[in-house]
Amino acid sequence: MFRFAFLSLVVTLLSAAVSVRGDDAMPVTYDDHIAPIFKRHCFQCHGESKQEAGLNLASYAAAVKGGSGGAVIVSGRSSMSRLFQVITAEDAAERMPPENEPLPAEQFALVKAWIDTGLRQNAGSAGVPTRTLSFTPSVTLPGDGPPPMPENLPAVERTKTARPFPILALAASPRAPLVAVAGYERVDFIDPETRDSLGAVPFPEGEPHVLRFSRSGAVLLAAGGRPVQNGLAVLFDVRSGQRVAELGNETDVVIAADISADERLVAIGGQGRVVKVFSTINSELQHSLVKHTDWVTAIAFSPDGQLLASGDRVGNIHLWDAVSGGVVLPLSEHKAAVKSLAWRSDSQVLASCGEDGSIVWWDIAKGWPAISKSDAHPPQRPAGINAKIANGVLDASFSSQGELITCGRDQTIRVWSPDGLLLQSLTLDAEVKPTVTNLRTRTLPLRAVVTFDGKTIVAGDSAGKLYTWPSDTNRKK
Amino acid sequence: MNPLNSLSIHARRAAMWSIWLILRLTSAIAAEDETASVSASPSFRSDVMPVFFRAGCNAGTCHGSARGKDGFMLSLFGYDARGDYERVVQEMPGRRVNAAVPEQSLLLLKAIGGVPHTGGKLFDRDSEYYKTLLRWIEEGTPDDATTVPDTVGIALSQVSLEFEQAGQTVSLQVTATYSDGSSRDVTSLARFFSNNPSVAAIDADGHVKSAGPGDTNVFARFSRFTVGAETIVLPPAAGFVWPNPPANNFIDTLVFDRLQKLRIIPSDICDDETFLRRVTLDLGARPPTEAEYQDFMADTASNKRSKKIDELLASDNFADYWAALWAEQLRVMGGNYSPDATHIKAADQYAKWIRTQFRTSRPLNEFVAEMVSASGSNISHGPVNLYTMLVHAPHVQAKPLAADFSQVFLGVQIQCAECHNHPFDRWTQDDYYGFVSFFTGIQRKPGVEPREKRIYWDEKSSPAVNPVDGQGKPAKVLGAIEPVGVTGDPRAALAAWLTSPDNELFSKNLANRIWAQLLGRGVIDPIDDIRVSNPAVNAPLLDALSKRLVESKFDLRSLVRDICHSRVYQMSTMPTSSNVRDTRQFSHAHLRRLRADVLLDSVVAVTGVPRPLNYWPPGTRAIDYYPRSSGGTEGPNPGDPFFATFGRSTRGTICACETKTEPTLSQVMHLSVGDTVRDRISASPLVERLLEAQTPPEEIIEQLFIRTLSRRPTTSERTELREIVGDAVQDRLVYEDIFWGLLNSTEFAFNH
Repeated sequence: MFRFAFLSLVVTLLSAAVSVRGDDAMPVTYDDHIAPIFKRHCFQCHGESKQEAGLNLASYAAAVKGGSGGAVIVSGRSSMSRLFQVITAEDAAERMPPENEPLPAEQFALVKAWIDTGLRQNAGSAGVPTRTLSFTPSVTLPGDGPPPMPENLPAVERTKTARPFPILALAASPRAPLVAVAGYERVDFIDPETRDSLGAVPFPEGEPHVLRFSRSGAVLLAAGGRPVQNGLAVLFDVRSGQRVAELGNETDVVIAADISADERLVAIGGQGRVVKVFSTINSELQHSLVKHTDWVTAIAFSPDGQLLASGDRVGNIHLWDAVSGGVVLPLSEHKAAVKSLAWRSDSQVLASCGEDGSIVWWDIAKGWPAISKSDAHPPQRPAGINAKIANGVLDASFSSQGELITCGRDQTIRVWSPDGLLLQSLTLDAEVKPTVTNLRTRTLPLRAVVTFDGKTIVAGDSAGKLYTWPSDTNRKK
Repeated sequence: MNPLNSLSIHARRAAMWSIWLILRLTSAIAAEDETASVSASPSFRSDVMPVFFRAGCNAGTCHGSARGKDGFMLSLFGYDARGDYERVVQEMPGRRVNAAVPEQSLLLLKAIGGVPHTGGKLFDRDSEYYKTLLRWIEEGTPDDATTVPDTVGIALSQVSLEFEQAGQTVSLQVTATYSDGSSRDVTSLARFFSNNPSVAAIDADGHVKSAGPGDTNVFARFSRFTVGAETIVLPPAAGFVWPNPPANNFIDTLVFDRLQKLRIIPSDICDDETFLRRVTLDLGARPPTEAEYQDFMADTASNKRSKKIDELLASDNFADYWAALWAEQLRVMGGNYSPDATHIKAADQYAKWIRTQFRTSRPLNEFVAEMVSASGSNISHGPVNLYTMLVHAPHVQAKPLAADFSQVFLGVQIQCAECHNHPFDRWTQDDYYGFVSFFTGIQRKPGVEPREKRIYWDEKSSPAVNPVDGQGKPAKVLGAIEPVGVTGDPRAALAAWLTSPDNELFSKNLANRIWAQLLGRGVIDPIDDIRVSNPAVNAPLLDALSKRLVESKFDLRSLVRDICHSRVYQMSTMPTSSNVRDTRQFSHAHLRRLRADVLLDSVVAVTGVPRPLNYWPPGTRAIDYYPRSSGGTEGPNPGDPFFATFGRSTRGTICACETKTEPTLSQVMHLSVGDTVRDRISASPLVERLLEAQTPPEEIIEQLFIRTLSRRPTTSERTELREIVGDAVQDRLVYEDIFWGLLNSTEFAFNH
C-alpha cells in the first residue's frame, strides 16, 4: 500500500514536471514567461539603464548573448547555465538577486524549462526538437548454436577468508540463464533461478572488480587484481573454464574494463588514468587513450562496435572511436566519480551513474543528456542526522528490453523504463530502517544486473551476499 | 549513557592502560597479557583515529588536506569522525579495508610500506599502531556506538621544564581525560613540537632535549587539544651577578623576575634626551619641540619624567594618536561609491566618533561595546560603521566579519575552524559557527539618501550551519558550552560578554596591544595571533597588565602611564653583553622605526613646512589621515605615496602585520632624493631665520640637532660639522645640507 502510494506520488511529480517542461501546448517562452520574471528580479541591475557585468536581460537577444564574461545561458543545458546556477545558489553571497530572498520555486522551474527546451523567444519560435528514446530490442543475437554454458568445470578450492568478500562484480550472460559472481580470488557461475552453482574459475591474481560476458556469451572477461600491487584482465572460455588470454600488467587494480562485441578488443583502466586497448588476438596494446585526469572508473564498448566510453573519478566521460582510438566527444554532467557506464543494445543510448547521485541517459547522436535524474537513489534520512548523506549510484546496467537497473548507497535496486520512469524499487533489507548508528555500517548493493530473459534481477552486496528477485514483482526470493 | 556500556569501556581502558604500561616496562611480561589485548575490541574514534593522527595520516600535508591526497581524504586531525569512517570503510568498497583478508587491507599495507605509498612507511608491522588497526579490521571495521567517551582534555606530566645546560633530556607523558571521567596515557598517540628547537627540541616520543640558552615552549597535541610546557635552558651561572636594579612599579618587578630567572642582565636606564624623544614620539606622535627640549633638560626635579608623561597624556595629541591607531585597525576608509555603505560621509562620522571617545577618555570596554551593539544609519551614527568597514564588501558577510571581529577584539584567529577544528588552539567548528551566528542577522538597507545605509538585525535570519553535522549553531560566545539563548539581536549579549571585566581574552588582548605599541613587541607576539601554541613570553606580566587595565575600568591612560613610568620602558637600547641575544624578554629597549604617519608628521614638525595630502584640507596631520577615494573601498588603499613607501597599513585586512616598519631601498631613496624632505628643507624658514638673527655657526648646528634628533651634537660631530661650514658661515645651503643629513639619518627615522 505504501509502495503504491509512493509510486503514484512519483508519477504525479513526473507529470507535473512534464507540464512545466512545456513540450506540449504551452511552450515556455521568453516573451510570455521569462521576461516578467527577469523584469521583476533582475532588470534593476541587468536592464536597459544599467548592465552590471555587462549583462542585459531586458531583451531576448541581449540575454542570450550574455555579459562581459561570456554567455550565461546554454541552450538545452540549465545545469551548465551560469544564470541558472546563480539564481539557485545555496550560498547567499553567491546568489542572485543579491540581498534578497531566492526566487520562488515555480519561477526556477520556468527558467529551467525555458533553457532546457531551447530558449524559445515566443510561441512562434522553434524549440529543441523533442528527443525520442524509442527502442526496439534486437531480435537476432550473434553466434550460432546453443547458448554457451559452463560444462563440468574443474573444482576450484575456496581461499579461506575471515568473512565473505564483498561482491565487487556481477555479470549476466546475454544468452543463457547464467550469472558470474566475483569472489575472493575466484569467479563463480550460478543459475540465477535456482542459485545453484554451475562451477567456478580461479582468479589467483586477487579480486575481480569487473566481470563482463562477451556478446556471444562464450567469453567471460574478469578484470581486477590487488590494490597497489597488480592488475590485469583475464578472458575465460565459458564452456571449459579455460583461460584464453591475460591482458595488461598493471601496478594497481584494474577498476574498469570491457570486451568489444566482436571479442577482438579489451579495454582496461584504473589508477593510471590511461585507457588501454588490447587486441585479444595477439594480446598487444593497440591504443593508449590519454585524456582522463583522474582514475578511470568505468569503461564500456558500444554493442555496435563503433564507440568506447570511459568515465573517471572526477565525473568526466569521454567517447572514443573504438577501432581507431580517436577522440569523439566529451560528456560532462557528473559532478563526482562515474561509477558505471552501460550501453543500450541499440547503441543509441549510453547510461552513466555516479557518486553525485545522478543517472544520465545520453543521447549519443547529439552528445546531450536525453534524461538526467539527480538524486536517483535518495537516501532516507534517519532522525538525528542533518549532514549530507552519501547518495551515490553505484552501478547501472541495461536489460535486453532497454530497461535500466541501478543500485545505490540508499540500499535499493531500481528499475527504470527506457524513458526514465521508475518502474520498481527493491530494498536489500526492507525491515531495517536507517538509523544514526547503522547508517554507515549497513551493507551496500555494489552491483545489480538483470538476466538475459529479463526475468530475474540479481544484486551483490558489500558483505558478500547475493540477492535475486523476479523482475516483475518486488517480492524477495 | 547506558551503564553497561560505560562499564565495558572502563574495563577496556583499564586493560589498554595495563598493556601500555607493561610494554614500557618489559616485553617479557607483555606476552602474558596477550589475552587482554585480544579481548579489547578497538574503537574507531578512541583507538583507530588516534593512530591516523599520530602517524600523520590526517595531517594537512597528507590525507588531511582539504582535497585529500591521491584520492583519499581524511578530516584534518580528525574533526569529522563520521566522515572519516565512511571514507575509510564505505567510500571505495574492496579497496581501503579488507575485512575478508584483514592483513591484505591497503590501509595496513600502505602504512607499513608493504606497497608503494607517497607518504612512505609510517610504522612497523610489529608496532602497537599496526596491531590496533589490524584488530579493528579483524573485528569487521565496526563503527562506534554513539556513546563513545569523548576526549575532554589532555595534560602533560610537567608544566614547566628547566635545564641547567645544553644536552640534557627529560621525558614528558601525555594523559588524556574522557567525558566518562576515565583517563589514559596517550604519549604513544600524541604528537609533539617545539616552538624553538634551537633552545629545546622534542622528539616523536616526548623526549625533550636542551640545545642552547633561552626560553621556549614545547607542546603535545592529541585529539583536538594542544598543551604546552614552558622550557628554559639557562646560560652558565658562572660570572652571572644579578645587578638588582630598582623597580619603579609592578611591571619592573615582573620583568626583572623573569630576567633574573633566565640569567639575563637588563640594560641601564636611558638618558633624559632619549627619554624625552621616545616618550614624546610614543604619546604625542611627534618629536619634542626645541622649547620642550630646553625646558625638560633644564628641569632638575626628580619626578620630571613623570610630569612629562602626564603632560603628554593630557594632550589631544595622545587621544588623536590612539584614535588613529584604532581607525587603522578598524579599517576606516571612505569612498564616493555608496553601495558599499562606506561613503566618505560615513567614514568621517566614524573617525570623528572614534576620536571623540579617546578625547573624552571613554573606557575602552564601553568604546567597543557601543560599536558591537550599534544599529542605525552609517552616516549619522558613527559606531555602526563597525559593520560597514571591518569587512569592506557589498553585503555583510557573517563569516569574515566573525573572524575579523575575533582577531581585532580578542587577538584570536578563529577562521581555521571554519573548515576544521583549529589545529593548534582550542577552537572547534561548533565554537566557530556559534560565534558566526552573532552576525548572520546583520543586514543593510537603503536609507533616506543615496549615501546612507541602515544597519539592522534581521529577525528572520537563521544561525550559521556547521557543514560537518548540518546543524544550525545558535549564537554562542567563544569557549562557552551553551548558546546565549537570546531571541532576536544577540549582539547586546555579545557586547556584554566581550567587554566584561571577567573576559580575560578581551582585557589581555587590549593590554597586550597597548604594551606592544609602547615596547615594540607584544608579551604575546604577533599581537593578533593569540593561541595555545603562541603563549605569553612572560605570563605573569600579561596577567598583571590585563588586571591593571580592568582595575582602572579600562582606562587607556592609566595603563599607558604605568608602562611609561616603568624602568623597563625607560631602558636604553644599548645591550649588555648578557642581553645582546635577547629579543623577547624586554631586557633592553627595541629600536623601532617610526610609523609612516608619525615619520611624515615629524618631517613636517621639524621643518615647519606642511605636507599636503590628497582629498584632505591643507594642514591635515598624517595621523589624522585615512584613505579617501573616488570609488569603492573594497581594495587595499595606502593612500598617499609616502605611506605606501613607508608601510602604513593599506587597510586591506585587519591584520596587525599590515603596518610595516621594515626598511626598504625605496625608503632610503625617498628620503634622500624624494620631494618630501627636499621640498620641506628648501621651503623651511628655519635656517633663514637663524642666519638673520646672526646666530653663530656652532649654535645653528646645535639647534638643528636639537630640532631633528632632540639632542645636542657630540664634540666630534660639532668639530667636524664646523669644519664643513668653514668660511661659508652665511651660506644657507651649507646648513641645509647638514639639515638634510640629519633628516636622512637612521637616528631620525627611529625611536630609540
